[in-house]
Amino acid sequence: MKRFLRALLIAVFVLAFSNLAVAQDDLEIITLGVAQPFTGPLGSFGQDFTRGIQLAVMQMNAQLEAAGSKIRFEAVSQDTEGTPEGAARAVRTIVQTTNAQVIVGPLTTSEVLGAKQFVDENGIVIVAPASSGVAGGIPGDNIFRVMYPPDVYAANAFAQIAIARGYQNVVVLHVNDPFGNGLAEKFTTEFQAAGGGDVTVVSYAPNPIDLSAEATRVSAEVARLQGSGSTAFFCVCFLADAQKLLQIALVDPTLSAVEWMGIENLANPQLLEDAAIADFLRAANFISVSFADNSTPLTQPFIDSFTAEFGSAPGPFTNYAFDAANIAMLTILVAGNDGLAVKSMLPFISSHYIGTAVQAYLDENGDQAVVYYGLFQVSPDAPEFVAVGSYDGATRVVTFNQ
Amino acid sequence: MYALMALGITLTVSVIKLPNFAHAEYITVGAYAALIASQQFPGNPLLIIVIAGTAGALAALIAHLTVFRALEKQRSSTYTLLLASFAVGLILRYSLFILADSTNLFDRRIQVSLQVLLREGSLIITNIFAWVVPTSLILVMLLSLLLNHTPIGRDMRAMANNLDLARIIGVRVERVKNWTWMLVGLLAGSSGALWGIYSSVSPLMGWFAILSVFAAAILGGMSSFTGTILGAYLVAFSENTVMQFLNFQLGVDFSFKPAVPFIIIILILLFRPQGLTGLFDFLRRGELRR
Repeated sequence: MKRFLRALLIAVFVLAFSNLAVAQDDLEIITLGVAQPFTGPLGSFGQDFTRGIQLAVMQMNAQLEAAGSKIRFEAVSQDTEGTPEGAARAVRTIVQTTNAQVIVGPLTTSEVLGAKQFVDENGIVIVAPASSGVAGGIPGDNIFRVMYPPDVYAANAFAQIAIARGYQNVVVLHVNDPFGNGLAEKFTTEFQAAGGGDVTVVSYAPNPIDLSAEATRVSAEVARLQGSGSTAFFCVCFLADAQKLLQIALVDPTLSAVEWMGIENLANPQLLEDAAIADFLRAANFISVSFADNSTPLTQPFIDSFTAEFGSAPGPFTNYAFDAANIAMLTILVAGNDGLAVKSMLPFISSHYIGTAVQAYLDENGDQAVVYYGLFQVSPDAPEFVAVGSYDGATRVVTFNQ
Repeated sequence: MYALMALGITLTVSVIKLPNFAHAEYITVGAYAALIASQQFPGNPLLIIVIAGTAGALAALIAHLTVFRALEKQRSSTYTLLLASFAVGLILRYSLFILADSTNLFDRRIQVSLQVLLREGSLIITNIFAWVVPTSLILVMLLSLLLNHTPIGRDMRAMANNLDLARIIGVRVERVKNWTWMLVGLLAGSSGALWGIYSSVSPLMGWFAILSVFAAAILGGMSSFTGTILGAYLVAFSENTVMQFLNFQLGVDFSFKPAVPFIIIILILLFRPQGLTGLFDFLRRGELRR
């Protein structure tokens, strides 16, 4: 009897483990490529974005398991180093080592464009969470920018603000990269089409050590244009560059006397930590726009899940990476893990996806077309940005709060 | 600011015989030390600069003791040391990235709020100018005094002239090297703090500046303090005033500004490899090699 029981026990164990092995073998693992900058100036964004994507994969796998599905997703990441060449290398490495058909990322438009040729030639799909540069809006390619709207809307919003504020001329200082060039160019077109006057554009090389020479030129251009009417300054600069510029502007009589507009980067509370800069921006009537000043039923659950999983709240735009990963996985589940099928199906899935900030709906370029910007200025009472209005991308109208 | 940064390069090349690319990261280490110190002791620029200089000196000394000295003992070539300096720089840079990421210290300004002290027409003097310029000048003067009027300075000059001879006459080479590295780190760290007060602090700030700094040192002939200071002013002048002139008069885009240090380096290497050394004999007092 003992011998029988021992044999039975062994048989049960063998069967149990063999079943487990079969169950493991039966799982279909689909690789979701993740190309984000883990190093370089955008490293902190890349790391947070990747956590957002990992959270989406964990939640999706839990749902698939609960539903009895044999499909599981696995995120495989590569560092883009924040450069176009690095992005191309990262995407190529992921595809060649894992056969992934869909990549979530990269972060910036420069990186996305760096990887474009490879993905277009190899039928791979890129789902970029936060790229917005005008240069990335190309119809028919394999790049989908699903959550963050392209800068054509930001350009239009700033043009509408400039007209509403009565600016006749604008001097633009912009970083010389696809993002800065595209936004400055589009702003000029939109402003002049809306009845604006002269736009003078001054560009600077990325990652400047100092912006003294550029600031002098901007100051001279503002002084020149003020002769022909009300003139404003539009700063298309990253935060670190704006900090350098502000140090010069603080003591420049012309730049201190002109009104300022600035891109979303600059509606950053970090800038206002310096009381002199907060006072300056308040006096300059500084205005910026910020996307997705909205929430959906998914906003708070995402923040809670992220915080519970990683021990800190998600950084700026991390929810877009979470949304992009969800759209990519849902499309793969419907269309199969095939790049061309995903390309065909992704706009349909996107337009039925409720995001953590806004719903996705893609235009003819495969870019987000649902656009709500909040307009922000420095509060007259405290060093903080407060909402002063909104912009609706559907109507292309700016509305200021009463 | 370039002068303060480039003096460390000149000192390293002359005394240690190493064009040290990790110098960029000593600048950044100083800037981060200053940033963290400024959060603890706001409104005390002098203390902030002292802490930054100390952090830079420690970083340089530790890199020397753990990496460069070991390689020198193995009689490694200058090329190996040069590669090692890149490696040390990368390790420091990405350590700073980890620090910045975990403490949210990207693109932060050292908390010294700007105030205008004097405004007379186009002449504007701010408190930051009042801190940065005199501090740079005082540090340069102290360095000059140390090199010309102290025993350790005499030993450094002896090593810069002829290392073997310096050993023969009894110079304690290792001790002098330790002091040199600390001095180099002190200058780099202090300049990082001053740069961070003027602009903002990020893990790449030293790396972005290093080419201009090398251009200044090469222009100075890599052996003369006076030449290095002049070289630094010429590089800064080219990047700002000359670029402004080219932009206003010929429409040259400011995006070409990063090319300026490269052009300076290539022109000097082609036409005057010794840089400004010997160009102004009356300034020879500041030279390390006589």
